[in-house]
Amino acid sequence: MRPMQRLAAFILDLCFTAYIAAILLRIVIPEMIFGEPPPPMIGAEYFTVIFASLTNAIIGQAVNASLGISFITGRLPEGKLRSAQATQGLIALVLTIWAGWIVTEISPIELFSGEGVKGAGRIFGALFTPEFDIVGEALSAMMETVFTAFMATIISVPIAFVVSFAAARNVMAISPVGKAIYVVLRGLLNIMRSMEPIIWAIIFSVWVGIGPFAGMLALVVHTIASLSKQYSEQIEDVNNGPIEAISATGANRLQVLWFAIVPQCLIPFLSFTIYRWDINVRMATIIGIVGGGGIGYLLTQYQGLSRYHEVGTLIIIITLVVWILDVISARVRAALR
Amino acid sequence: MPLLSVRNLSHTYPNGHHALKNVSFDVEAGEFLVIIGLSGSGKSTLLRCVNRLIEPTSGTIILNGKDVTRIDGESLRKHRASIGMIFQHFNLIARHSVVQNVLYGALGDTPTWKSIGGAFSAQQRERALKNLSITGIPEKANNRADSLSGGQQQRVAIARALMQEPQLLLADEPVASLDPATSHSVMRYLDRINKEMHTTVICNLHFLSLVREYATRVLALRGGELVFDGMPDAITEDWFKAIYGDDAVQVEIR
Repeated sequence: MRPMQRLAAFILDLCFTAYIAAILLRIVIPEMIFGEPPPPMIGAEYFTVIFASLTNAIIGQAVNASLGISFITGRLPEGKLRSAQATQGLIALVLTIWAGWIVTEISPIELFSGEGVKGAGRIFGALFTPEFDIVGEALSAMMETVFTAFMATIISVPIAFVVSFAAARNVMAISPVGKAIYVVLRGLLNIMRSMEPIIWAIIFSVWVGIGPFAGMLALVVHTIASLSKQYSEQIEDVNNGPIEAISATGANRLQVLWFAIVPQCLIPFLSFTIYRWDINVRMATIIGIVGGGGIGYLLTQYQGLSRYHEVGTLIIIITLVVWILDVISARVRAALR
Repeated sequence: MPLLSVRNLSHTYPNGHHALKNVSFDVEAGEFLVIIGLSGSGKSTLLRCVNRLIEPTSGTIILNGKDVTRIDGESLRKHRASIGMIFQHFNLIARHSVVQNVLYGALGDTPTWKSIGGAFSAQQRERALKNLSITGIPEKANNRADSLSGGQQQRVAIARALMQEPQLLLADEPVASLDPATSHSVMRYLDRINKEMHTTVICNLHFLSLVREYATRVLALRGGELVFDGMPDAITEDWFKAIYGDDAVQVEIR
């Protein structure tokens, strides 16, 4: 193991043990003893967490076997050390589930209490007796949502198409500059993708005002990132034979790209795109709730007024449209295969 | 002056595998040179070094008296365009038509934007159809490439190579994925191109019976080294064992 790997493993072990110690001290034990959230952390607790983490991480380095080391090297130790490691992992899993149960305030009593069931009956009753007076309004809002998703997809496709080639390892690995662009671009796309569209929707609803345009912009950001990644993985997956053959004719890089790579990608690209539109319709509904317009926005309005019969209508329409689009998109994608 | 002169050519892959070790030979214009050897003996690497699809690690490659080992950019593309190449798996663009695939042989001397716009000249189209006639499948011009049989696809690939009007044709195991009858048909097209159009051919082959029938000269590689350079008739049983190993048995293809 190189020193940097050793350091990384050490830090991982520190974090791992600190995590176990912290959920034990802050969540599991207080719940067992007091049955309520504990007072703010005190010095002794900090000391315990740090002491436990250091001890475990140092032991790990000393015997040259720990979860951190296994994670970095991808290898498990043999014999007793292996079962010790498995035990540590198991303890972490059990504690996590236990702490998760406490933190999410899981309570079967509330779910099935008389009071709770009565409330559920009220809302289900309202949802299943939808108010059809608003069907016209709901349908036009749904159309807004579908178009928002459609436009977001259409606008993203050409951008993602161009970006994906610069984010494909086999296209960019030809020079150090290309490799650098590839690494930076992949990182950027991952960040863009890991920011949920709902957060972009909040940003854009302040930027351009509440409405479908904000929702569309939010979806565009996310769609460019997602499609670029899917497209570029497809590009990395193409058969090398045609690339060799076209290169052998004396074609330049752009011609190789266009004649050997693009034809192998177009159908999968189309399939990804249709699926993305399908996803975007669902996302556009959610985005509407935070200010992206369309049926999601209508939903929050009626929900805010506690008009659950109208909410019922909206839910039926959303479910129907999403289901129909899902069927269509699955059919088209199957036909493309 | 030989058409092609390879001197002390070596290639080492990034994983450390020595595919070619110090290989030297000359090829005269008009030869039908066949390279034999086991899979992994370096035959494919050798062919790809000639048109620089693979960069030689050391040694020189001289074509028509010009050192092409380290050229790049435009002159590398001109070099490649002067050499046709066909492959074991044909490497056609599956979803495009046969005639389009043949036209791609002209990419080397078509301006980028024209080619991407599909604006090949009338003269290029005429030549593409003529080359399809030479390889015997003019009626398939507008079919999709992947709708053709293996033998037909290889003939499309030959027509594509002919678009380059090559002085040299490289064939990397051109019949290895074809059945015996089709193999002979494809080999006969290569033979005709060699005899009638005076194109020099360097061809990797597995079957010695094909070698004896078509080669004017044979090279053999073993473990990346050149172990035999001579006439097809000179491959005796002893040589055969030296090239393919003691356990090898000759298989005939008729």
